[in-house]
Amino acid sequence: MAELIEGVNPTRMELLKLKGKVKLAKKGHRLLKEKRDALIMEFFNILEEARGVRRRTESKLEEAYKALILSQAILGGIKVREASMAVKPLDGVEVRSRNIMGVKVPVLEIGETRRTLIERGYGIIDTSAQLDEATTKFEEALRAVVELAEIEKSIRLLAEEIESTKRRVNALENIVIPRLSATVKYIKMRLDEMERENFFKLKRIKTTMESA
Amino acid sequence: MKIGVIGDSNTVLGFRLTGVRETRETDDPKEALEALKTFFKDKDMGLIIITERLADKLRTEIERLTKGVVTPLLVEIPDKEGSIERKVDPINELVRRAVGVEIKFK
Repeated sequence: MAELIEGVNPTRMELLKLKGKVKLAKKGHRLLKEKRDALIMEFFNILEEARGVRRRTESKLEEAYKALILSQAILGGIKVREASMAVKPLDGVEVRSRNIMGVKVPVLEIGETRRTLIERGYGIIDTSAQLDEATTKFEEALRAVVELAEIEKSIRLLAEEIESTKRRVNALENIVIPRLSATVKYIKMRLDEMERENFFKLKRIKTTMESA
Repeated sequence: MKIGVIGDSNTVLGFRLTGVRETRETDDPKEALEALKTFFKDKDMGLIIITERLADKLRTEIERLTKGVVTPLLVEIPDKEGSIERKVDPINELVRRAVGVEIKFK
């Protein structure tokens, strides 16, 4: 038996008020439960996608590292480093947000990461095709990484939302609603008791008056 | 917004070739954390890329930094030795917390 809400007066007014509250709590509970289920469904959809994106990113990166190491072997570490210093800066990413079931998730937009040899900015004469290859691979990998970042963050945010919704559903289900119902029951019993008492009192008065 | 990279020399080098300017080359988790904090303070930072190897050593600090923060986003990538075996996969951990059961993906 759930505990009662403290400090309630067993009156009809209070009973009506509480009944309204129970109704509201039940409605809220149902809605939150629906929200939770929908969020979990969305979560699994994205999760599936995220696994794919992660695998793709990992293989892209692996290729990129291989190409980079090869270019270092051919040109020498210092030359590659020199070239990396000369590269023109990238535009960067644009962060926007999107709404999934009331959860704001980020959307990352990156312009074209693949650049031509000239756009990159390092010297063409003293570098080799291997370096160009490595750079191209990394440019592709960067795009994949950006996509991965977006989707993993979305998952994280969705998971947080699911957690808090779940907590609210449970609180309503296990604490708020039982407590309200218990109090309603208590007031009803008190009112009934008072009525019986009154009835008996009247009977008593009637008999004393009749016998008098 | 800018992109930042924290990682070993090859990771940093590779991303520098694509034109990323904000980089920190380190193998030391303490230095990485230092860099992470500076990056997180930067209002113009949109995405931070960190190697799994470093991120794994800074798990609690990362949790603290990213909790409730939308930008910058943080993404963990494998370094040249490939993806590491982690005690707790962050994504699986999320699934476990959100759904209550662990789900294995092939």
